[in-house]
Amino acid sequence: MKIAVMQFPGTNCEHETLVAVKAVGMDGEIFRWNRSEGELSGFDGFFIPGGFSYQDRIRAGVIASKEPVMQALLEEAAKGKPIVGICNGFQILVESGLLPGTGKIDMALAQNVMVSKGKIVRRGYYCDWVNLRHDAPSKRCSGSFIMEQGSLLKIPIAHGEGNLVTTTPKLIERLNEQEQVVFRYCDRNGRVINEFPVNVNGSTQSIAAICNPEGNVLGMMPHPERSFFAWQLPSFDPRKQRPDAAGPGRRIFESVKRYIEVSA
Amino acid sequence: MSQKINLRVWLKIPDAEAATVKNTLARRFGYADILNDVKKERLFSIEVDCGDVEELARSFAKELVNENKESCKILIDELNFEEGYVPVKVSLKIEDGEAISTRERLRSRLGFTNVVDVKKATIWKLYLGGMDPELRAKKIAEELLINPHKDTFEITSRMG
Repeated sequence: MKIAVMQFPGTNCEHETLVAVKAVGMDGEIFRWNRSEGELSGFDGFFIPGGFSYQDRIRAGVIASKEPVMQALLEEAAKGKPIVGICNGFQILVESGLLPGTGKIDMALAQNVMVSKGKIVRRGYYCDWVNLRHDAPSKRCSGSFIMEQGSLLKIPIAHGEGNLVTTTPKLIERLNEQEQVVFRYCDRNGRVINEFPVNVNGSTQSIAAICNPEGNVLGMMPHPERSFFAWQLPSFDPRKQRPDAAGPGRRIFESVKRYIEVSA
Repeated sequence: MSQKINLRVWLKIPDAEAATVKNTLARRFGYADILNDVKKERLFSIEVDCGDVEELARSFAKELVNENKESCKILIDELNFEEGYVPVKVSLKIEDGEAISTRERLRSRLGFTNVVDVKKATIWKLYLGGMDPELRAKKIAEELLINPHKDTFEITSRMG
C-alpha cells in the first residue's frame, strides 16, 4: 500500500504527513510536483499537505492546481483512489475542480471573516485547536471511513483562507443531501454554532471538510497530521500526558488505510 | 461632495507574483506566443468628503506606499491606464477585510476623519500581442485570475 505525499513549492507539512502515513503501516514517499506525472499511477492513495504552495500567489492553491500532476491526480481520482487534501491541499482540490467534484470551480475558500453576534470581530489568518463533528455516515468518505457519524475530533487549524463560499445555486443543499459535508466546526459537546469562536473562519454552515460525490476525495481545512500523536496535543489536554498514545488526527490516516484495504 | 483618490502602487523591485502569472499563462495555458509580459499593481480607491484632496492624496501615499520598494501614481476622480497592455482590475465581491482595515487605519489610527470609504483591487497588466487582446484578457481573467465565487473583474479604460 503506497502513498504519495504531494509536494509543491511552498508546501510545508509534507514530512509530518509522511510520518503519519508510515505510522499507520502504509508505505509512502514525498512526490515532488516536477516529477513525471505518469509515475502517480503506481500509488494507491494521495495526500496533498498544507502550506503555501507558490506562496499563495494570485490566491491560495490556484497555481498548484494548474500543474500537470493535478491533471494526473484527477485521473487517479476517477479510478476511485483516495485523495486527502489538508488545508492548502483542500484549496488546491477546490481550484482544480476535484472538489466538490463536478470538474468545475463550484466554490471558493475565501478570506476568513469571523462573525459573532452579528458583528465582524476578526479577519484573516487564525490558528487554534478546534472541535470537529463528523457529519457524514461511516464509510461515506475515504478520509473518515472508520469514523461513526457524530463522533468528535480535536484538531488544530492554521489558515487565512478557509471560508467556504459559493454562488452556485443549491450547492450547499446538494452537499448536505448527498452527505458530502464530512466535518463541521462545533463546540466540545458537538453543537454546531455558526459564529466565532466555534465557527472559526465564517465558513458557510460551519463546513470544515467536504468530499466528492463518490467519497474518495476529501478536502479538510484542519490539520490531522498535527494531532496524530498525543504528545502533539495542547498542554491543557489530559491525553498529552500519555505521549505514546494516539492523537485524534490518527483516525484520518487509519481511515485512508482501511478504505484502500476494502477497495482492493 | 465626495471625491475619489485613486492610488496606483507597483513594485520597483522584481514582482515574483507577476512573474509566476506570466510563467503559468505561458507554460500551462499556451499563451507563450502572444503574451509578452505581465505586470501587477495594487489599487487603493479612497473616497473623501472634504479637505484638500491633493494634499490628502500625498498623505495617503506616504502611509500606504513603501518608498523603499514601491512607486505610485495619484489620480483624482479618474482612473485610466497607459497604452500597450490590457488592464484587468480584480477585486473581491465578498467583503474585503483588508480594505476595511485600511479604512479604519486611515480614519481611526491616523486621524483622517474625512475618509468615507476605501476599496482595494489588483490590476493585472497583460501585455498581449495578436488579435483582440481584450477578449483574450477576459479569457485569462476567467481561467486564472479570478475565482468567480469570491472575485470579480473588469477590463478598465485606457488612455485614448
